[in-house]
Parts: sequence; structure tokens; C-alpha cells
Amino acid sequence: MSGAQRIVAGLEAAGVTLAASVPDTWIGKLMATVRESSKIRAVDAAREEEAVAIACGASLAGGRGAVLIQNAGLFNCGGVLAGLVDLYRIPCFFVVSYRGDGRDPVYYHEPKGRVTEPTLSAWRLPYAIADRTTDLAGQVVHGVERAFESRGPSVLLITGEDLA
Amino acid sequence: MTPRKLLLEALVAMLTPDDVLVSCLGANSRYLPHLAVPAPVFALCDSMGAAIPLALGMALQRPDRGVVALEGDGSLLMCPNVLATVAAARPTNLTALLWVNGHYESSGGQTLPSAPVDWAALARGFGITNVERVGDAPALRAAFPRARAAKEPALLVVDVAFDPNEPIPPYSQRPDEIRARFRIP
Repeated sequence: MSGAQRIVAGLEAAGVTLAASVPDTWIGKLMATVRESSKIRAVDAAREEEAVAIACGASLAGGRGAVLIQNAGLFNCGGVLAGLVDLYRIPCFFVVSYRGDGRDPVYYHEPKGRVTEPTLSAWRLPYAIADRTTDLAGQVVHGVERAFESRGPSVLLITGEDLA
Repeated sequence: MTPRKLLLEALVAMLTPDDVLVSCLGANSRYLPHLAVPAPVFALCDSMGAAIPLALGMALQRPDRGVVALEGDGSLLMCPNVLATVAAARPTNLTALLWVNGHYESSGGQTLPSAPVDWAALARGFGITNVERVGDAPALRAAFPRARAAKEPALLVVDVAFDPNEPIPPYSQRPDEIRARFRIP
């Protein structure tokens, strides 16, 4: 089973019903696997703030929404995280591609990599970095449950290696 | 130009308990607690531009409900791309009402950038074909059932009066109250 399949298995096991996404290279591969799921509705959003609101809408309507985006897209989401997710205490689980960390071969992502974790910390977003050598599906389940128990955001950072 | 309250009252009178209403921040959210809405209401007091995508998520999750989103022209001008997202997702149960008054009403009444935005043409350009422009309550009463009957995403472009002296009631519900009360049976 590939890493992408393990992540999607985790989303399914956690009861995620809708995954809203703006893709990058890595998230696009993950969404291709989401589209194979019979349990998760894949929604293509034009911009990341929309993806957050779409996922929140699914959760408010009795399902479980997730957001799959790049870290650059997460940076776009400060307003909706504060004014919707936090203000209304809505669970929102994110799978975010960690572009620009030491494992990313693409040089121009480096500035995003440098500010990813500081931004998550400054915005008080609970996060974990995926570890593909252990139970990847379990890490997804834990992240989703963390979001729903806290009625707030929860972020799992992944790299391209995690999808292999 | 018709005052907002008359249009809102006309809309609310057409809703049923099988519907869900999602309101953008500002005057709509401030008026709604004072109206007898027969459907669950999720009213935003912040997060401009979130009403339509929030309603889209609800519509996809609950295709058995009619979901109605209220959005302002100032908000949609920030993120018109959501119209493409809606067109791509093709919910059969989502109707958005775009309130057009050319002003950021809730932030002090500043004017929007003075561009002659053709919202109906813009929506059609993004792939939403079920679009109609209405200018008064009788037109809304006629257009709303028509929009919903098409079973495809709909946008009603509603021309509404801007009156800086309109006595819009203040926000009377806190977000945690709105969140706690919101349930779709």
C-alpha cells in the first residue's frame, strides 16, 4: 500500500466524508487517490479559503470535512481560520504539503519551508509532521480526532516521500 | 431600489423546514434573528466571502436539503473564483442570492471599486447558467422558486437599496450561540 493510500485509508477510518482541495504536485497525487474512495467526496476548489469553508460546511451538516492544500495555500487562510474555524469552533483537519523543508528537491519552495512551522505556531494551529516509517493512517486518524475533539483546526504536514 | 428588509422578508416567507440558510456577515446576519425563519440558520459575523463555499459544503453533505446562501457584492468581489468552484461541484440544491448595493455596508458604507461589474455575466462565464437578476420583492418571489426548480446551482443577483441611515439592528447572537443552535435535522 502506498503512502497516499495509507493517508486516504486514515481519512476513511476517521469518517471523513468530504475532502476539499487546491492541489500542488504532491497534494494532486494524494487527491488522485482520494478520488478512488467511495466514502469521500472530492471537491476541487479554486482557492484555499474556499476549501476551508467547504470542509467546515460539510462538518456543520453532519459529515466530516478535510482540507488538502499546499503550505503556501495555508498561508492564504489566516482570515478564514480566525473568522470561521476559530470564531465558530468548527473542526477542520488539514493535510498540508510541507514544501521547502529539507527533503524538498525544488529550490524555490525554500522560503515557504522556512516560515511554515513558525506560522503554524503563531496562528496556534496544532500540527504534526507525518512519519512514514510508522502508522501513517493512524496519524491521520489522530489528527482528525484531534480536530473534532477540540472543535478546531488540526494540521498534518506531509512531504512527497510520504506519498510513495 | 427596494430596501433589504422587504427582500429578506420575501425570501424567508418562501423557506421551509427542509431548507438551510447561510448568511454572510453584515446586515443580513443582523436582520435574521428578528425574522421568523423556519429553517436552520448559520449566520456569519466575519469572514467575508465564506457564505457561498460554506453553503456548498453543506449542500454536498446534505443533498436532501435546499441550501440558500446570502452573499454581498463586496464579499464576492474578493473571491469571485468561488463561482467556478460551485459550477464544477454542480450541487443540485444550492441557491445563492447576491445582494448588490455597491457598498461595504457593514464596515462604514464605503463604496466598492467603481467598476461596472456584470455579476450575471460573470456567473455565466464561470459556468453557472441558472442566473437571474431581480430588483424587487415580487420579482424575487417569482424567481426564487424558478431558480430552485432547475436542480442545478443557481445565482440570483438582487439589486438592493443602500441607505446609510437604515436602522439595521446590531448583532444579537454570538457565534458560539449560532454554532450551538445550528442543526440540520
